[in-house]
Amino acid sequence: MTWIGRGIIFGLLAFIVLGPLANLVLWAAAEQWYFPHKLPVTYGTKFWAQVFKPRGDALVSLVTSVWIALATVAASLALAVPAGYALARLKLPWRTAILLAFLLPQAFPSLAVYINIARLFYDFRLNGTMTGVIMVHTVHGLVFAVWITAAAFAAVDRDLELAARNLGASGVRTFLTVSLPLAAPGIMASAIFVFLESLDEFTGTFFVGVPDVITLPLLMFTASIAGNYQIAAITALVLLVPSVVFMLVIERFLKADVLSKVGA
Amino acid sequence: MKRNLALFAIAAAFVAAPAIAQQTTLNVVTAGDQNMVDYIKDFLAPRFEKTNPKAVVKAVGTGPGDSGSQKIAEKLQAQKGNAAWDVDVAVIHQKMAGDLVREGLLAPYVRDVSTGRLVSSEASKNALGTNVQGYVIPMFQSQTAIAWNPALVKNPPKNYEELAAWAKANPKKFGYNGIKGGMSGVAFVVGWVYANTADADKLMKGPYDANTKAKWDGALGKLKEFNRSVVITPGNAGTLDMLNRGEIAMGPVWVDMFYTWMADGKLPPNMRLQLIGPGMPGQPMYYVIPAKAANMEAAKKFVEMATSPAVQAEGIVKKFNWYPGIDAQHVKSQLDDKTWNKLFVDVTPQELASKGKVFPIKPYFDDILESYERKVLN
Amino acid sequence: MQDRGRLGVLLVAPALAAVLVLFVYPLGYSLVTAFQAKGGGFTFGNFAKAFEFYSVDIGFTLVIIGVSTVLIALASIAIGGYLTLGENPRAVALLRWLYRWPLFIPFVVAAQCMRTFLAKNGLMNNTLVSLGILEVEQTVGFLDWRGIIITFVWKQTPFVALLVAGAMASLDRSTIEAARNLGAGRLRILFEILVPQIMPTLVVGLILSFVTMMSVLSVPLMISGESPTMMTVDMAFRINNYGDYGTANALGFISYLLTAACAWVYLKRAVRQS
Repeated sequence: MTWIGRGIIFGLLAFIVLGPLANLVLWAAAEQWYFPHKLPVTYGTKFWAQVFKPRGDALVSLVTSVWIALATVAASLALAVPAGYALARLKLPWRTAILLAFLLPQAFPSLAVYINIARLFYDFRLNGTMTGVIMVHTVHGLVFAVWITAAAFAAVDRDLELAARNLGASGVRTFLTVSLPLAAPGIMASAIFVFLESLDEFTGTFFVGVPDVITLPLLMFTASIAGNYQIAAITALVLLVPSVVFMLVIERFLKADVLSKVGA
Repeated sequence: MKRNLALFAIAAAFVAAPAIAQQTTLNVVTAGDQNMVDYIKDFLAPRFEKTNPKAVVKAVGTGPGDSGSQKIAEKLQAQKGNAAWDVDVAVIHQKMAGDLVREGLLAPYVRDVSTGRLVSSEASKNALGTNVQGYVIPMFQSQTAIAWNPALVKNPPKNYEELAAWAKANPKKFGYNGIKGGMSGVAFVVGWVYANTADADKLMKGPYDANTKAKWDGALGKLKEFNRSVVITPGNAGTLDMLNRGEIAMGPVWVDMFYTWMADGKLPPNMRLQLIGPGMPGQPMYYVIPAKAANMEAAKKFVEMATSPAVQAEGIVKKFNWYPGIDAQHVKSQLDDKTWNKLFVDVTPQELASKGKVFPIKPYFDDILESYERKVLN
Repeated sequence: MQDRGRLGVLLVAPALAAVLVLFVYPLGYSLVTAFQAKGGGFTFGNFAKAFEFYSVDIGFTLVIIGVSTVLIALASIAIGGYLTLGENPRAVALLRWLYRWPLFIPFVVAAQCMRTFLAKNGLMNNTLVSLGILEVEQTVGFLDWRGIIITFVWKQTPFVALLVAGAMASLDRSTIEAARNLGAGRLRILFEILVPQIMPTLVVGLILSFVTMMSVLSVPLMISGESPTMMTVDMAFRINNYGDYGTANALGFISYLLTAACAWVYLKRAVRQS
């Protein structure tokens, strides 16, 4: 294939992949943009000032989103690390049933589940609270977390663990000094996945959090529906920063063997 | 030394506690588009906090259309058993107001605020067939009309029939948001039914007859046909946005949103409004106070301030281009003629009087929406 | 051994409890409520209403997701194939850098991008007009069910392509070399050698995408105004405007049925492998 042919195809691909993103950046930098102009009429930072003003919602939503994401990671890992270790290393009765249970959230469309969680939370006064949202995000993230940590522990060389046991280390000590550090990259990867999933989560928060807990995706959605494209684009960019940063960081953790075990 | 420190801490806590305890957070929850939340946050809240230094106003929006009001109703219903509720003032649509009054979830506060005597409109007593007198004060009165772009439309249609013909001749140049995502589309559909049935008055005043909806098949069939030549927009703002970008030439809008967008530079200044016959609905939104609001007194003061003639003039009419909620004469005297007349540039008071309709009574309203879903969407 | 078994259960218990309480229980609740009448008691009325109001949308949900899945499969195979069989190292590196971008864009943000990109006078059409490919009057807005397909394919392809490329990369290159030596074209190698071997991974990726797309609310809500749209929008509408849990859960049940075949295949494969 000549470079002209390649050029056309890659140009098209670049337009398809990066065009929508470029659109977002343009709207974030635009102050006025209306028909029949093909590009923004005036550029400016007026809307950035509006988004980040002291009484504004964006900063509150950003803090809310990050707080919820961190809490979700903590909760998910607390639940997933022991579960992953047990699935990878220990003999479990009803192993098949347990595996099935962890697969279910990935096998069923979750919208109806979220609707009913919201209704059930009403009875426990959890609807519209941060705790409720964190719980929903944790279960959503648990699926990835359990699978990736299980894969990470399974990838640890058994011989190293056996060597440690032979030298007299207890089970717990072996876990803490051998298994855990060696599985750490995989666990980090799952932590990052869970963090991103929570930060970007929309549907569950739409039913459980509204109107009191407004995360950044909800804020962006509201701005978009109201036609405030500049504000929506700016909020979207703020939301993208952690994702893109982690995309560059995660290259190191996205090893083929860990990934191939995801959802396998 | 340690004991002194401890005693000092306790004493400080005692002194600080009343000061901290005295700061009240007033929770104002509003349905409707973002402009409603902005009104409370940027206009009403600073005013209220200035005259009530110990209060902080927290504004929360639940979204446009009936879903926004439904969310507020759900919040109140969920807390029914509690001693104090976390919503102090709510702004809701007519349909939900009727339901909440019937369920006993609202406080009859109007007699306790001084501005209560400034309001005598039909809207303040009747919400789609339910008697709500004493429980609500209208925040504003709004009206829908067809916005049209003179650069793309030479002769705007004067009634629904002409509009249908125009849409057929100019496919995809008219847009509205259906019945989801915003009330401007709902208003358009209701106006269509009014225009295509014999007993529009019965729909607006009652009595309810469950067999009436069968008579709408013809009207809904025509609407389904009409929908084929139009664009369905994503919401109130969606229609305005597409008008702005020249993607549609006409669409139903709320008059206040139209003027506000124009003032913000989000709509070309040459756009015009046309109130088509036989009429299009408008609606008030209501200030209500939940029966067990945690800060009842502060809530009443807030509503009193928000419905005072000065605030209605400055905020409702001048800043946000709504028709006032309290009786017009109290507000008109607070404004200069130019500002007042700005409201009536394209839609004159006479047109408003003859073609400004109300929404149908609740059972008919529900029937219209359900029939739309059954017959037009499916 | 018995001790370790009990230890295992103890370690798994909290996570399992979380999934049971916060997913399986509401799922069961949803299934039951779908058959409940307003005053209690068993009924098919919710399903009747769901079909009466939303049969068009149910059909379109299948169309949208079906078409999206097929397109995602084709695109992923193409990308994976080029990454494995590409001859020019610079082109391969460029592709590897380029295709991953949508992977880390959340669905909400992707929907926002597409909302203005795909509009009648949006960036896509404006670019085409500027390049002289289209006239202004010919531009078509894609803010309907087609826009939903475009957004889904845009967002999900990198995920499946990542899995497929990874699987292809871990294949034994000797079969590929042998075929090349025998003179086979690259396209033939792709479809007759590579794809059959990575089929399991591809199927898993597609099933995961299928289920994900069935759950998304933000994309159809922001891109397609009204019918035809996806069932998720109708479910949200029923809940938010009317508190009508019966019909919404009936629609949910239907969405489970639509996914059931995939879910069964996925669960069977996954359990067998473990």
